[in-house]
Amino acid sequence: MNPVESFRMSVRAIRGHRLRSVLTTLGVAIGVAAVITFVTLGASLQADVIGEVSGDQPPLMTVSAGPADDQPGPPGESQAVFTDHDLEQLRAVEDVAAVVPQGRVPISGLAAGGRTLGYNRLTATTPESFEYVATSGFSDGTTFEQDAREVVVNEPAARLFPGNVSVGDTVGVVRQNGSRVNATVAGVLAADQGPFGNEALPQVYVPTDPFYETRLDAPSSESPQRVYPTVTVVASDFSAVETVQGDVQTYLDEDSDARTLKPKSYEFRVQTVEDLVDQIRGLLDTFTAFVTGVAVISLVVGSIGIANIMLVSVTERTREIGIMKAVGAQNSDVLQLFIVEAVVLGVVGSLAGIVLGALGAYAATQYVDLAMTFPVEWAGIAVVVGILVGVAAGIYPAWSAARTDPIEALRYE
Amino acid sequence: MSDVAPAVVLDGVRKTYELGGQPVHALRDVSLRLPRGSYTAVMGPSGSGKSTLMNLVGCLDTPTAGRVVVDSENVGDLSEEARTTIRGTAVGFVFQTFNLMPRLTAAENVALPMLFQGVPSRQREQRATDLLDRVGLGERADHRPNELSGGQRQRVAIARALANDPALLLADEPTGNLDSETGRDIMELFADLHAAGNTVLVVTHERHIAEHADRIVHLLDGEVEREERVADPRRPTAPQRGGDR
Repeated sequence: MNPVESFRMSVRAIRGHRLRSVLTTLGVAIGVAAVITFVTLGASLQADVIGEVSGDQPPLMTVSAGPADDQPGPPGESQAVFTDHDLEQLRAVEDVAAVVPQGRVPISGLAAGGRTLGYNRLTATTPESFEYVATSGFSDGTTFEQDAREVVVNEPAARLFPGNVSVGDTVGVVRQNGSRVNATVAGVLAADQGPFGNEALPQVYVPTDPFYETRLDAPSSESPQRVYPTVTVVASDFSAVETVQGDVQTYLDEDSDARTLKPKSYEFRVQTVEDLVDQIRGLLDTFTAFVTGVAVISLVVGSIGIANIMLVSVTERTREIGIMKAVGAQNSDVLQLFIVEAVVLGVVGSLAGIVLGALGAYAATQYVDLAMTFPVEWAGIAVVVGILVGVAAGIYPAWSAARTDPIEALRYE
Repeated sequence: MSDVAPAVVLDGVRKTYELGGQPVHALRDVSLRLPRGSYTAVMGPSGSGKSTLMNLVGCLDTPTAGRVVVDSENVGDLSEEARTTIRGTAVGFVFQTFNLMPRLTAAENVALPMLFQGVPSRQREQRATDLLDRVGLGERADHRPNELSGGQRQRVAIARALANDPALLLADEPTGNLDSETGRDIMELFADLHAAGNTVLVVTHERHIAEHADRIVHLLDGEVEREERVADPRRPTAPQRGGDR
């Protein structure tokens, strides 16, 4: 029999039991809606977080050295192994626009506005850092100069002191041995938001020269050089990131001072923003998959509903099946009729589910204040799932309908 | 040979069922010929094997032994699929309880056997309309069975039986659920169809219904007890149409 005719007959049968069909469809609709809602919510969350992390980032990568079996993630306590010589060599790598070292300067406290506060760490770096790494921009003043007793603070750090500190103020840096060095505030960085929308922590930046005093004998020159725990390498543009990443890794593994300075069990990590984004994406994917998995359960329940109703329907229509067979319906015709009917229920259910799910996702994203990112491919997946659910749920009932003995069926009351 | 070949031949047919491990002999050695254009009635009390005979002639079942030949095809040799096809094309069923599809209109019910033979929809609709006209229900084509009287439903069923121009019109107690006047109208319709050249087999337990046929085959305990020629078949005179409820 022509599938179009089957479709027409099936729609007739479905409309013959309106309430029952609506309730059956509702089961699938809720299942699909739950899946769509959670997937959309996951995708929206991911788009939001990744947008925050990767938005307007320069093409940079972070170089660090840590234990080989360390968990992936943002570098933790990296060992200071990258020498000035290494920085020089890295700057010479093709397509590298800048190499920005970062180190920690352990101190006891800061003094400003007539008060001394306990504060245990400065970040030593170069002026390029404000161009590539801490890119929120200056709300006042500008970068410090190398070889100058100047500091740059971010707004949360400026607010640590009574009456705030501003450009031109003097800040006293209390070293760990109690001695005090005065420095002038050269600039205040605008408040930046962390990747998860939280406010940034207070940060005080100083030039590596003269503040950074962590030195080791460099194997390349056999004289003491500054060594840094993390180095940011900036590529000339995004298309070069991957090659630069490879070249940097090669240099570190084969030629660098850091190679001999690092403990044997440690490894160099050259992590791009993309890598970080991938990690976050992976994390959120796992979360979304978990929640979607829960939603799939309701979809399974919905398809069992279809199977159940189809079985009832086959029993109820035993006599009709007998009539159809008596007037020449082949087993395959009967099979087709019932499968089409189940598929129609499944597809209608999943279409309704897409609409319901989109509404649900909209409500949910509004509630948690996210921009909604609707994964369009999931609408297609939902329709395919609707068809599969229909076939899976309809196949046994349809088979048992096809097998019905017409003599028995015609006698059935 | 097709012109002279009988519509149905039963040759030494035996049908045995297993019922709770016990063999039940529904038919034992039945032989019967229904020439084309004949009008035959099968009579017998319940348990005589009428239903079994009807199922065999209607290609719903196959004999345990012997041959059932419908429209020159030996039913016992056919695959289930081929048997279904011959059932749809060579046999037109008319049941006591009408057996119409409740959600289809009269015209769609009539078109149903053609649907399963892959007749295009335009042709189906045309023929369904013609057939309903022929049974006097032209203006009721769009009504569903529950909007029709018993007599009208049986007319729809008869129109459906004629859909694929079958070699045999097979009626099982066609008036059993109708009042006597409506029943008479239906029997009149069968007489008309017979007069128009159709082969008719009516299965009944009522003598006055059987007497419409040219010949009555009496079944008893699964055997042909006797065959009786009806000297003067009841043929309603002065046909009246449209009087049924």
